[in-house]
Amino acid sequence: MAVYVQKKPTSIFEKVNDETWRRKFLRNVLIPWIFIAPLLIIHILVVAVPAVQGIYMSLTDWTGIGMNVNFIGLDNYHRLFFEDETFAKALGNNIAWMAFFLTVPFILALFCATQLAQVKRGGMIYRSILFIPYVLASVVTTTIWKNLLNPRQGIGAALDNLLGLEDVFGVAFLGRRESALMSIAFIDNWHFWGFLMILFLAAMQSIPPVLYDAAKIDGANRWDEFRHVTLPGIRPVMLFMYMMVAIWSFLAFDYIFLLTQGGPAGASEVIATQLYKNAFFRFQAGYGAAQGVVISIFAGFIILIFVTLRRRGWDI
Amino acid sequence: MKGIKLLFAIAVLVMAFAPVGAQDVTTVTMWFSEGSTLDCWGPLMLEFNDIDPSLQLEIVPQADTWNVTRTAVAGGGGPDIVRTPGPSYAYELAEAGLIAPMDAFADEMGWGDFFFDWALDLGLVNGQLYSLADELETLLLYYNTDVFEANGWTPPDTMEELNALGEEVAAAGYVVFSHGNASWRGTNEWFVGEYMTQLAGPHNVYKALTGQLSWTDESMVQAVEQLDAHMQAGWYGGGIDLYFTNEGTTRRAMLADGTAAMNIEGSWAIRGLEEYHGESGQGWDWVPVPSHDGTDYFTIGMGNTSSINANSPHPEAAAKFLNWYFSPATQGKMLTSCRKGPAPVAISEDVMGDLDPRVARVYAELSDASANDRYGYTTWTFWSPSGFNYIIEEVERVWVGEISVMEYLEGLDTLMTAELEAGNLPPIPSR
Repeated sequence: MAVYVQKKPTSIFEKVNDETWRRKFLRNVLIPWIFIAPLLIIHILVVAVPAVQGIYMSLTDWTGIGMNVNFIGLDNYHRLFFEDETFAKALGNNIAWMAFFLTVPFILALFCATQLAQVKRGGMIYRSILFIPYVLASVVTTTIWKNLLNPRQGIGAALDNLLGLEDVFGVAFLGRRESALMSIAFIDNWHFWGFLMILFLAAMQSIPPVLYDAAKIDGANRWDEFRHVTLPGIRPVMLFMYMMVAIWSFLAFDYIFLLTQGGPAGASEVIATQLYKNAFFRFQAGYGAAQGVVISIFAGFIILIFVTLRRRGWDI
Repeated sequence: MKGIKLLFAIAVLVMAFAPVGAQDVTTVTMWFSEGSTLDCWGPLMLEFNDIDPSLQLEIVPQADTWNVTRTAVAGGGGPDIVRTPGPSYAYELAEAGLIAPMDAFADEMGWGDFFFDWALDLGLVNGQLYSLADELETLLLYYNTDVFEANGWTPPDTMEELNALGEEVAAAGYVVFSHGNASWRGTNEWFVGEYMTQLAGPHNVYKALTGQLSWTDESMVQAVEQLDAHMQAGWYGGGIDLYFTNEGTTRRAMLADGTAAMNIEGSWAIRGLEEYHGESGQGWDWVPVPSHDGTDYFTIGMGNTSSINANSPHPEAAAKFLNWYFSPATQGKMLTSCRKGPAPVAISEDVMGDLDPRVARVYAELSDASANDRYGYTTWTFWSPSGFNYIIEEVERVWVGEISVMEYLEGLDTLMTAELEAGNLPPIPSR
């Protein structure tokens, strides 16, 4: 009995002549690429090309105006790490900023989301109220808080007037080196933590209620439920947000620039505000580009940590 | 029916010829920051369109004119008239070949006849004229006349007198200088440049700018130390931390309502003073900023510059507009109507006669100082962008005690020496 065995095409010519292979290639390879091509082209044009240009500019003395560009190798990076004292200070402020945002808003959001998850009636009103600051533009938020924290006309001064005190609560929080950065972080957090809370709340609501019932049967109290059911249930969202907040901490710019422009005396300076000043105030765009590359490297490093953890089995 | 046909025929004819007419019109474009300044300047500048129907000016309001302009100009676009925040910015554009030399227009239209000599020199790059300076500014010591009269004080002439008066003002419970940099950190540089000019002297500043004197010279050290002493005494804004949080509006209000006695600020402040003091009903006047020996020195500053875009399709038309705009007649009209700091051109005495005497006196004194070697230098006009940004940022470290005055000036000296060697300083008119 003759057995017909279909021979698999091996050479490229055989493949092209094979109808099944052609259909598979079309369906699995070509059509997806055709669909994704417009997005890819746009991405290459507006992200990849400027990114490569940015890396190149970081190796030049470009002023940011015209195309008089001289290649200076790694001079900008040498200056950044070995000569510019203010860069180390700005980096330290970024790390302090990150430490603040990886703790305060997470604690606030977790606490409030846990409480709100149990509210059956009127919960939407609370959520909306707490979420409103997130949809306000940074210019609006900073203007509100600049007025509230004004040592002469703000709430501190009003309290002093009410209690007959002098300069006790009317403190220039944004004008003191010791308090400027954390005051800005407080204002930024006022706008941000509601967003985090909504994310946690959504994650909590996706946890099957039977897990809580089972925990109750096992005699768990509220704290046990939180520790052994809620936290593991929202862990992927939490860890993802940890990664995002860590990356965003190196991009912090708008609130700082609008409130203090990095002052007083560089007390609230971060890498992004320095970059902006170098590129647009001092005509040192090449040096600013080097700072931008360094920010990207930090962000890449954070992503690398999370990718490594994921590969090791973490549920991220 | 016949009437309708006739009307239709006329409409067709009008439409057919209209584009021909439109093609004959040359439009010169200018970008300008939107806001109250444009509200006042705009209609006056558009009067240019009444002179010649074939040459029209179009003003395009922008939210952030300088940043938008330099991006567009670098990309080969942008307006025909390129405005920058000062000569040092125009210098960078000229070096990059983004603005066109205007020497031929200057000769043809006789700009040298009405511009002050030193003013045209400010726009020179490699010997060619690239920009025309606008908005002549100087710093003045404003004071609340009601507060002064009530306390029997007289405005000071020398720094010694200012120091004595400041003690009295502070002891009487007033803020000495209504100030703050929360709205504009560049406020810092006003004082550094001013104290250097008034205490070290404009000739020493000139020498330092041209590399003949170190910025760490004793005279410079004393000037910055004096400024620091005033800051440490809480004279500016009522305390250093308050200085860092006081907004521009607070600054105006403090002087107008008598919370503060004085204010060192540029001539641009006059419009705001008229408004705030008009509301409070308290008087204001000004004197030159006190110097070490009582000589009336006036620092010269330029608020912005105008140039012609190197890619402008009709540079001649742009030059015609500049010729009209910078003419003493137009500048005089803008000064009287909008309190615009005039370009450094010879404005007729008739125009000055119509002004508030306090305003007229500013420009008369400035002109006199300029003619008699009593002019000094504002940092934003005569330092490079890196130089004046260093002054703005680092002086705060002196005020909060992070670095000493000498360390501050050593840093400035290193930076300015490098900038001078690299040819990054804007032109300094010789004296």
